[in-house]
Amino acid sequence: MMVTIVTFRDIFQSEAQEVDRFSEEYRRMSAVVFLDKSDAAKAGIKEGSNVLVESDNGRVVVVARISEDAHPGLAFMPNSPWSNRLVPAETDDTRIPSYKSISAKISATDDKVPTVEDLLRGMVS
Amino acid sequence: MAVCTGCSLLCNDIEVSIDGRRITRTKNLCRKGFGRYRSLTSDRPVPRVDGKQTGIDEAISRAAEMLRNARRPLLFGWSCSTLEAQRKGIELARRTRAIIDDTSSICQGEIVDMIIRRDIPSCTLDDVRNYGDTLIFWGCDPSSSHPRHMSRFSYFPRGEKLQRGHEEDRTAFLIDIRASPTAKILAGNFVQIPPGGDADLIDAMLAVLDGKIPKVRDKKAMISMMNTLKKADMGAIFPGLGLAYSLRGRMDRLKALVDRLNETTRYNVIPMVGHYNMRGFNQLLFDETGFINRVSFADGVDHGPMYSVVEASESCDLAMIVGSDPISSLPAGIAKALARVPLITLDPHRTLTTELSRVVIPTALSGIEAGGSALRMDGVRIEFDPIVKSEYPSDEEVLTRILEEI
Repeated sequence: MMVTIVTFRDIFQSEAQEVDRFSEEYRRMSAVVFLDKSDAAKAGIKEGSNVLVESDNGRVVVVARISEDAHPGLAFMPNSPWSNRLVPAETDDTRIPSYKSISAKISATDDKVPTVEDLLRGMVS
Repeated sequence: MAVCTGCSLLCNDIEVSIDGRRITRTKNLCRKGFGRYRSLTSDRPVPRVDGKQTGIDEAISRAAEMLRNARRPLLFGWSCSTLEAQRKGIELARRTRAIIDDTSSICQGEIVDMIIRRDIPSCTLDDVRNYGDTLIFWGCDPSSSHPRHMSRFSYFPRGEKLQRGHEEDRTAFLIDIRASPTAKILAGNFVQIPPGGDADLIDAMLAVLDGKIPKVRDKKAMISMMNTLKKADMGAIFPGLGLAYSLRGRMDRLKALVDRLNETTRYNVIPMVGHYNMRGFNQLLFDETGFINRVSFADGVDHGPMYSVVEASESCDLAMIVGSDPISSLPAGIAKALARVPLITLDPHRTLTTELSRVVIPTALSGIEAGGSALRMDGVRIEFDPIVKSEYPSDEEVLTRILEEI
């Protein structure tokens, strides 16, 4: 299923980020994608299941959450190193990355959600 | 009373009880600020050089040596440092002929630039509290990003001229793509637009102001909103990252709307700056160079996109990161480019950036362990004293020592 991912700030995730970026709490709050109910049903994705999110720039496994509000075609992720795996490194003349408009494919997966350490290893490989 | 450096509201009404070096109780903090206070005892880094734990002195000396030998250093971060530290940082950039950039480069820089240059009018949050009868929150979610914005300054307070508060005297609209927590508060005045739809919305708003029919689905709601906006005694627009990213490179559209509104009434703009002293850094660098960010001191003063953190990450041969975590906040492809060069990081916490740094210098948490001053999101200067003793030096002290050693 193709969606447009928009990153946003979540206060609980911001609090966890202030306290400790290496904590399980921060990972739990960050490594999520909020899907529209009908989109998720069409793609056979259940609340709390792992999904693979792939953009032209990279891929990351996160946990699917189903939104109460309808937003077909859009998916929301808290701004974090997990969402940044998907943001294009190419920028336009403004040199401001496209954090809030990422075209991505979402599919069910049995793969694990990476830890911060996994993401760091990806940076230096 | 203490000041919270959790965001650029710099709330200065924080009550803190202290027992020795331990904070036992706080009052008036929001959830985000409370996180900052909690971080005092979480995951503090140790001084490190080349992966080995050292003393702070050794880490500072090594940082000075690396900066001395760099040909094209990048100094990045700055928005979580005091004005005093930022001043030292700019001096260090001059001395090392470095590129200097801050987080505004990848967020609200364009809007802050227009305000500092007086291309669009601004005012203080206190003015908004007392006189701002018509508000537009645009592409932001203050409930989550600046939790006390609406209660201390903008929407809920009874202002000097607005004694009937939000019940009668104040109207607030929210323009956003997501039904955020703030959208629940302003439910009746939530204008939901598609991603990237801000420029079209501005065109529709301008059309109504020109007496034309707007090209939107709900024409009636649009005309009614514009009638309310036109009646303002003093309006305020709070652009967030949503607007900044949607209109990037086209910020003249926002200016066109503000100018048009100001032909018949009064509207001011205060950007929802995130980090507690981004506005301060932008002002300081502007006062010294005429630019708010993306400056190179390699040959006098030069400015341009090639000195943005996004580009400089590819071209620098060393980066010093102050109070920021670009490895976490940049797109992974750009973070990877930055990770290939030797990094020197000053931070009160262990971050993804400290983990990949050749030199780590732990610093005091400003507002709690270190004093100084900062500019609030509206440019008002707020001063603060440390409230607990710290074993860590402040950014300002570390930068002063690096300057002495270079």
